[in-house]
Amino acid sequence: MKKMKKALSLGVVLSLTMALAACGSNKGNDAESSASNAQEGVTKLRIYAQYSDEDTKGYYDYAVAELSKEMPNVQLDLEIQAQDDGQKLKTYAATGNLPDIFNVGLDQINVFRQSNNILQLDEYVDKLGFKDKMQPSAMNTLYTDDNHVYAFPYAGNELILLFYNKELFEQNGVKVPTTFEEMHAAIDAFKAKGITPLSIFAKEKWPDVAFFDMFATRYNPAGISALDKGQAKPSDEAYVKAAQDIADLVKAGLLPKGATNLNYDQAAALFHEGKAAMFVNGQWEIEASTKALGDKVGYMYYPAPDAATYESNKLAFSGGGTPGGFAVSANTKDKELATKVASFMALKYAEFKYTQKGSPIVSTKVDKPIVKTFDPMMEQLAKDLPNITSTTAFAWGLSNTKFKAAIEDASQALLSGSYSAEQFVSDLESAMK
Amino acid sequence: MNKFLGNKAAILLFTLPTIVLFTVIVMWPTMQVFYRSMYDWDGLNPGKFIFLDNYIRLFEDRLFYTSLKNGAIFAAMLAVLQIGIGTVLALTISNKKIRGRKFLRVSYFIPVVLSVTVVCQLWLAMYNGEYGLINKIFETLGIPYRQDWLSNGKTAIYAVAAVNAWQNMGYHFALLLAAVNSIPEQYLEAAKIDGAEKWKAHWKVTIPLMAETYKFCFILAITGGLNAFANMQIMTGGGPGTDTYTLTYMMYRSAFRVGEFGYGTTAAAFLVIECLIVTFAINKLIARDRIVY
Repeated sequence: MKKMKKALSLGVVLSLTMALAACGSNKGNDAESSASNAQEGVTKLRIYAQYSDEDTKGYYDYAVAELSKEMPNVQLDLEIQAQDDGQKLKTYAATGNLPDIFNVGLDQINVFRQSNNILQLDEYVDKLGFKDKMQPSAMNTLYTDDNHVYAFPYAGNELILLFYNKELFEQNGVKVPTTFEEMHAAIDAFKAKGITPLSIFAKEKWPDVAFFDMFATRYNPAGISALDKGQAKPSDEAYVKAAQDIADLVKAGLLPKGATNLNYDQAAALFHEGKAAMFVNGQWEIEASTKALGDKVGYMYYPAPDAATYESNKLAFSGGGTPGGFAVSANTKDKELATKVASFMALKYAEFKYTQKGSPIVSTKVDKPIVKTFDPMMEQLAKDLPNITSTTAFAWGLSNTKFKAAIEDASQALLSGSYSAEQFVSDLESAMK
Repeated sequence: MNKFLGNKAAILLFTLPTIVLFTVIVMWPTMQVFYRSMYDWDGLNPGKFIFLDNYIRLFEDRLFYTSLKNGAIFAAMLAVLQIGIGTVLALTISNKKIRGRKFLRVSYFIPVVLSVTVVCQLWLAMYNGEYGLINKIFETLGIPYRQDWLSNGKTAIYAVAAVNAWQNMGYHFALLLAAVNSIPEQYLEAAKIDGAEKWKAHWKVTIPLMAETYKFCFILAITGGLNAFANMQIMTGGGPGTDTYTLTYMMYRSAFRVGEFGYGTTAAAFLVIECLIVTFAINKLIARDRIVY
C-alpha cells in the first residue's frame, strides 16, 4: 500500500511538472512572436508548403533565403503540408483559417473556387509580370479549364520515365525491351538470375496509375486523361488491352514480392542497389538514380504491343503538367503583398530546381546560371522534350475525383496479381456511373 | 440516505452533467450524421438535400459489399481469436499451480499498451514478402510455402485482422481473468467432488457463470471489428486495391479522397445502425439476469 502511495504521488508530481513545462514553453512562444511583431514594419504571412524531406526542404529554404534579401519586411510562418489529399487544407477552408499562401493541386482549386476560398489571380499575373516569365510550353499549368488563374505554377510538365540499369541488361545478355514479348523474355532472364525485373513503390497509388497509364498510352496516346475528361470509356479496347498486358506481366513475375506494400525508400533501394533492373518514377528521380548508379542508369521508351506501335508512339509520354502551385487565400489581409510573395516563391522554386537540381523541367523561365550541370539522362531528356508528341496527367492532376479514387484503387489491385483485367474495367465503369 | 436518493431532484442534479455531456459529444454528432447523410455535400460548399438517394446508391455500390464482408470477417476473427484464446489463457492462469503466473499475466497484456502504429510496423516487417520473419520461418523449416501476406487480395484482410486480434487479446484476457477470479472456489470444488475433470468443470461451471463478461467482450470485439480502421490505414491503406476496405475506411475514402462528405456520412450512418443491431442481438442472445454468487 505504501509503495502504491509513493508511485501515485510520483505520478502526480510528474504530470504536474509536465503541465507546467508545457505552459512554460507556450509562454516562450508567445513572447517570441510578440517580440517579432513589435519589429518595425515586419509583416507575417502564413504559408502552407511541402517541407518533409531533404528534397522538399531544399526548395523552401532557398526560396525563403532569397525572399529575405528581396523583401526583408516579410516573414513567413511555415505550416508543413500534410500528405493527405488536401484534407488539412480543406479543413482550414471550412473553418475559415486558410493560410495566406498555400500549395495546391487541381482538385483543391476546383473545390476552393466554388466556395470562394481562393483568390482569382488573373489581374496579378499580368501586373506582376508573371505571365511573361512563363515558359510558352508550360502555359497549360497556368490556366484552369475556366480560363482563369488560381495559382502560380513552378513544376512544369513533368514526365513518367521507365528507368533501367544498363549494366544489368548487358551483363545478363538481355535486350532492352521494345515490345511486350521482349518484356516477357527479359522477365524470364532476370528471374532466372534472381534479379527483380521491375521495382515500383506501389503502396503509394499514383505510381500505380502512372504504370497503367504507360501501357494505356501505347494504345491511346491520351491515356488516362481521356478517361478523366470523359472522352473515352474504360471498356474501350485501349484500356482493356492495357489492363490485360499488365495482368499478364505481373503474373509472369515482373514485380518484387509484396510490391503493393513497398514505399519509395524500399522500392528505390532495390533499383539503386542493382537488385532490380527497371524502375518507374517521374523524371525527378534522375538525380537520385544518377547519384546511386552513375552512368549505368538510363531511361527507355515504353514498350508497346508490336514494333510498329513502338516506333510511332515512342515519344507519347505519360505524365504532364496541370494547374497548381502557390495560391493565395481569398481572405488574406493584404492581397497585393500576399500575391507578390506567392509569385516570388513560385519563381524561386523553379529557379532552385533549374539551377541546383539540374532539371530544365519548370513552368517559368530562369535566367540564372546553372550550379549543378544536367545529368546525362537529363541531357537526353532535354533532347527529347521538344519532340514529345503527347502527354497525359499524373494521378494528382486528374480533375474527376470519383474517377481518380477508382483508378488509384483499381491500378493498385492490378499490380497485386489477384485481380483480372475484366474486374479492373468493371470496377472503373461502376465507379464512374 | 434512502430518502435523499429517492428524491427526483437529487437524481436529476447528479445525472445532469453526464446527460449534457453525452448529448453534446455523442447524441448530437450522431444525429448530425443521419441528417448529413441525406445531402449531396462536399464538406465545404452548401449541400443539396437529396433525401434517400445516398442510401440507394450505397446499396448499389460494389465497394459497400466488399466493406461489409471485410467488416464481418474482421469482427469474426476478433471474436473467435480474442475471446477464444483469451478464455484459454485466463483459465490457465487462474490455476494456482502454474509457475510464473505474474510474469505471464503481464506479458499477455503488454501489446495492449503499445500504440497501434508500433504494432503495425512490427507486423509489417514480419509479413514482408521478401525478408519477413514469417516466410523465413517457413524457409528454415524447409516448407516451400511462401506468402505475399499483405499484397495478396485474398489473404490481406485475415493478416490485418490477426494483428488487431493479437494486440487486443490481452485486454479480453484481463477482463476474463477478473471474471474467473470473482467466481467463488466452492463451485469448482463442488464440481470436482461430483467427479468432473478440470476442463469439464470449467466448461460446465466457470464459463456459464462468466456470461455477463462474455456479453461485454463480444460486444467489444464485434463492434471493434466492424469499426476497424487504424490497422488498414497503416498496413495496407485499404489495398491492394479495395481488398481490405471496411465501412469506416469506405467512409474515409468517400469523404476525404473523393470529397463526397454526404455519401461518406451515409456509410457512417449505416455503420451506426449495424453496430446497434449487433449490440442488441448480443444482448438478446446472452440474456441473463445479473449473476449472483
